Amino acid sequence: MIAFVAFSLKRAWQGFWRNSLMSLAATASMVLMLTLLSGMVILFLGLNATLDYVKGEVQVVAYLNDSATAQDVAQLTSQLQAMPQVSTVKYVSKDQALKNFQVSEPGVADLVDSLPSNPLPASFEISLRDPSDYIDVATFLRDQPAVDSVQDIAKTVSQMTAVINVVSTVGIVVLLIVGLTVLFIIVNTIRLAVVARAEEIEIMRLVGASDAFIRWPFVFEGAFVGLLGAMITIGLLMLVQAPVASLLSSFFNVLPVQATAMVGQNVALMVLGTGVGIGVVGSYVSVRSYLKR
Amino acid sequence: MAKSHPTDPTADGTPVIALRGVTKTYANGKSALRDVNLSVPEGDFVFLVGPSGAGKSTLIRLLIREELATRGKVMLEGRDLARLKRRDVPKIRRRIGIVFQDFKLLPNKSVRDNVAFALEVTGTPRASIKPAVERVLRVVGLAGQADQRPSELSGGEQQRTAIARALVHAPHLFIADEPTGNLDPLISWEIIQLLLRINEMGVTVLMATHNADVVTALRKRVVGLEGGRVVRDETGAAYHRED
Repeated sequence: MIAFVAFSLKRAWQGFWRNSLMSLAATASMVLMLTLLSGMVILFLGLNATLDYVKGEVQVVAYLNDSATAQDVAQLTSQLQAMPQVSTVKYVSKDQALKNFQVSEPGVADLVDSLPSNPLPASFEISLRDPSDYIDVATFLRDQPAVDSVQDIAKTVSQMTAVINVVSTVGIVVLLIVGLTVLFIIVNTIRLAVVARAEEIEIMRLVGASDAFIRWPFVFEGAFVGLLGAMITIGLLMLVQAPVASLLSSFFNVLPVQATAMVGQNVALMVLGTGVGIGVVGSYVSVRSYLKR
Repeated sequence: MAKSHPTDPTADGTPVIALRGVTKTYANGKSALRDVNLSVPEGDFVFLVGPSGAGKSTLIRLLIREELATRGKVMLEGRDLARLKRRDVPKIRRRIGIVFQDFKLLPNKSVRDNVAFALEVTGTPRASIKPAVERVLRVVGLAGQADQRPSELSGGEQQRTAIARALVHAPHLFIADEPTGNLDPLISWEIIQLLLRINEMGVTVLMATHNADVVTALRKRVVGLEGGRVVRDETGAAYHRED
């Protein structure tokens, strides 16, 4: 068994270099396709992160009557927190609202000082797990006596939900199409590399080599092409990672950028898995047509 | 080299090759063989003659189980090839040595490596490969050219390399498909002499050929195919029918 694996690996290595032109062509198309694929995946992940961020930003803001008591506030808070649609509840008191206003509008801060009393209402800022649950939460709040009014963002939310759905669907479809194209091109390139060795396969069959002895060197060779292609691709990605990341974060400076390391690791694993996987499957399928007879 | 011994399945008189009512029709409807009966006992030397398209190559493809018969039975050393399990096909092929008109050598391997290849790809332990290769290279007279590549050899030497590769598994049956088709008469005779020697060592030989001089001179068994049928089967015969 060990001898067989050693034999197959040795033959795979020899096969790779003997047909170096074909192997390098296969590796090059592997690199090209994996780069394209990982570019798409990174874009898709970025898009998803953006969508998640935007979703998290959807808040229901409910303004309270000035007559609302501390008890009302406490009761409402616990009721809201118990709702499954709600992720966080933040209470903004009248004083806090005034401070926030002074911070955000420093030009009119003096004006506030001249007011006889604080005109700003206390409010709840409620983050939702899913923006489409807006209606449920807003309806509940409108029925509460302590609530004066609920900011109406129903239209904004429904438009945004629609956009998010379209964008994610399109993203998945594009990713699928690119993935299938990648698979097709690489399998075909490997098939060409196998066709170039048809005579060798014929001789192996004639001298009584078992299917395993014919197949596995090619499968290992495919895995080798995949591994090499994946490593080159990961190297390329690491080279461009820093400038691209700074470009992206200057673009979407609101995005949490600490996710980059994890994204990088996941993409690297995906490139490695896809490369080796396609290499193995491609060679397996290509050799099989010679062994069928 | 193959020798008969008591446990040998062919030692009890079972023919090495036995075809019974074999018909081969290809998917395109072309009949390559029609109702062929043939029995070749162990140690025989048989010339397979006939015009191009007579069915010689199809017969050989059936014997190495590259194809299956449409009707009838193809038996090799008493085993029905149609009933052979897929994984046993390589084992049967190791009992057959085969050479072709176009040698089928790997151009980037030396003579020694071309012969060793047949053992490597069948899982032979490394330690027993070298002595086996050296032995068959001596049999075919190529011990001195072991390190040369096919492109550095004459046609006759290339065919002898192919013969060495076919012999290295110690086959019971040796099939030569037009082995002298690309060689000049003198070299052809050297190859024939080599096949006769292999036959003398107890290996059954089946040689498909158009070489009338060789067939007529040797007076061996001659099986003639025409239009997919056996039209003659004579021992000690000439290339052309003498009646």
